[in-house]
Amino acid sequence: MIANAPELPYVDIAQQHLSIKGELMEAISTVLDHGQFILGKELEKFEGQFAELCSTRFAVGVNSGTDALVLALRVLGVGPGDEVITVPNSFIGSVACIKLVGAKPVFVDVGEDYNMDPNQLERAITTKTKAILPVHLTGRPADMRSILAIADEYDLIVLEDCAQAVMAEYRSRRVGSFGDCSCFSLHPLKTLSACGDSGIIVTDNEEHYEQLLILRNMGLKSRDDCFYWSSNSRLDSIQAAILLVKMKYLHEWTEKRRKHAAFYRESLKDLSEIEVPNELPYEKAVYHTLMIQTTRRDALKAYLDKNGIGTSIHYPVPIHLQRVAVNLGYEAGSFPAAERQAKQILSLPVYHNLIPENLERIVQMIKQFYKQ
Amino acid sequence: MRVPFSYLDRQFADVDDYLADIKQLVLTGDFTLGTALDEFEMQFARISGMPHAIGVASGTDAIIYSLKALDIGPGDEVITTPMTFIATVGAIAMTGATPVFVDSNDDFLINADKIEECITSNTKAILPVHYAGNVADMTTIKNIAEKHKIYIIEDACQAIGASLNNLQVGSWGEAACFSLHPLKNLNVWSDGGVIVCRSQQLADKLRLMRNHGLINRDEVVMFGGNSRLDTVQAVVGNRLISQTQWITEQRITNAHYYDKSFADISEINFPPRRLNAKHVYHLYMMRAERRDALLEYLINKGIEAKIHYPIPVHLQKAAKHLGYKTGDFPKCEVDCNQIISLPAHQHLSDAEISYTIDSVRRFYCK
Repeated sequence: MIANAPELPYVDIAQQHLSIKGELMEAISTVLDHGQFILGKELEKFEGQFAELCSTRFAVGVNSGTDALVLALRVLGVGPGDEVITVPNSFIGSVACIKLVGAKPVFVDVGEDYNMDPNQLERAITTKTKAILPVHLTGRPADMRSILAIADEYDLIVLEDCAQAVMAEYRSRRVGSFGDCSCFSLHPLKTLSACGDSGIIVTDNEEHYEQLLILRNMGLKSRDDCFYWSSNSRLDSIQAAILLVKMKYLHEWTEKRRKHAAFYRESLKDLSEIEVPNELPYEKAVYHTLMIQTTRRDALKAYLDKNGIGTSIHYPVPIHLQRVAVNLGYEAGSFPAAERQAKQILSLPVYHNLIPENLERIVQMIKQFYKQ
Repeated sequence: MRVPFSYLDRQFADVDDYLADIKQLVLTGDFTLGTALDEFEMQFARISGMPHAIGVASGTDAIIYSLKALDIGPGDEVITTPMTFIATVGAIAMTGATPVFVDSNDDFLINADKIEECITSNTKAILPVHYAGNVADMTTIKNIAEKHKIYIIEDACQAIGASLNNLQVGSWGEAACFSLHPLKNLNVWSDGGVIVCRSQQLADKLRLMRNHGLINRDEVVMFGGNSRLDTVQAVVGNRLISQTQWITEQRITNAHYYDKSFADISEINFPPRRLNAKHVYHLYMMRAERRDALLEYLINKGIEAKIHYPIPVHLQKAAKHLGYKTGDFPKCEVDCNQIISLPAHQHLSDAEISYTIDSVRRFYCK
């Protein structure tokens, strides 16, 4: 054990804002000066930059990643009577959105990449299936080639959940550019984050885009004309101004996360008790989380915790086993891979401003645990 | 002279204190929920005289979540008025319930005497709107709701501080919804909303629902959604909330001055000023003959008058499926052609108010 080593939290949002605090306050101040707190030019500029980042034609900022999914499903015409296929190992928002539009979530198990297993996809398809909702969990792209091929064959909509995966690439294409619509979260814990809840939808489809602009704004086509009943889900101008500042650093921050992940992979490769996620040649993962697997997960987590190293679990209870899912008709054993992983996964600190000494310390501590 | 409808640039003439608070928050990184929001909710509960206040992402979400928390959804009917901002009705529709309209009255508020004839076995709630900051006839509405055992959810989005018979808006029903949109009397610097309620059980459910139904980080007990009032906005609200009373009084003073100054203009007609109702004038709305010409005249003079709103909700394209038509709500329809709102906000100077009054008088050759 390292004597008197400082606490090393799993994430440190405050520290991540220290170096850009001046710029952020200036950005907020600019919004105050013009007083345009709703929609407006910061949001338009951010949406333009974000669409470009994803190589899509359009982007629409909304109030959260969950709202992004709900609005995208609505614009894609998914509703009561429809089934949407997704995975049981994501954040609850990936499934809640389906229920919130009145459709039925149908799960397929995941592979060792933590993502939708395309080999199991076909047997989940019924006559009611309307859409596939793959999640790029941890920031690693799902197997989009296989998923798109199946979607094509059965004429299904594809909605990408990119909440954890901004900047991730699959066969040299950014995630977000594969689906009919794709949704991102800009929650404070994300690599590109607002200082509050925010989300964004990207699409190439101009009709979807126009409709999303209306849907996020209470169905208003203009100040006085309401075309559809809808809710209020606008990305705040102040948050857009903050996001514009952070956009400048996104490449650098993403590369740092990738470097940290590579370091873990290299340093822990001889430790047979631990599995560090690999990366296939045609994948570029962005490591929103760095999720290792070990059968002694709880003991390792406790050991690291005792030694001042924060870790996290994303997520310990698969969605199909949540109390909220009792009526969906699944049980323990329905998705063996997701259930096994839920008991073995552990997320290590991987934020961009982790210093090498601390990375080294985490690795040493893990090695020590297995030497005991 | 320019008389703006929005006053935000003036509200934030001196923002150093706010920015210092925000900087503090940035240094904690505590951007969702947290102590600043707890404090704001406590302050909001206190000024509205209710035990519970729950911050959400917008006034619209406040209504959606209140209805859903009371298990109102497909197959249910909710009674409201077509004389409102579109979001009131959008919120009902978003739950899957059917909005049922009752015409407005002289006050631009739901005509309480016409509510009972619209009640069916599917009616689950009355959603009166305290439009413009004026209080609906809650005494009558409460009697009807009790008689038929249906809920009252107040749309108090424009009416913080308003009261009837000294009973504040927000205290009349199961839940009440407030907006903190930048143009509201009490505002934050983005979309924001608050629900107040009396029942601990309802408050607990709303807190779960706005946060994905999570009872803790890892366990989900209901499908909720994500609708949290941003912590950074709670920081702003915590500073502004102490000004609510001053803001309200300023607006009332301005409105009374308008009332007095227009009393002799027969082309202008404003709602009866009820002695037992405290109207907080989120909007100073009046009926004006040759409304469109007046609007154009004022705008040319640099006075940002507005129409809230020219098209009644039941005649919007979105409402087509509800089957209403022109003529169904004559009072509301006639008013929509006559109403105009004048700037009445708390930062107007005496000169701006005088200029506005002079301009209106000049238009009518007074």
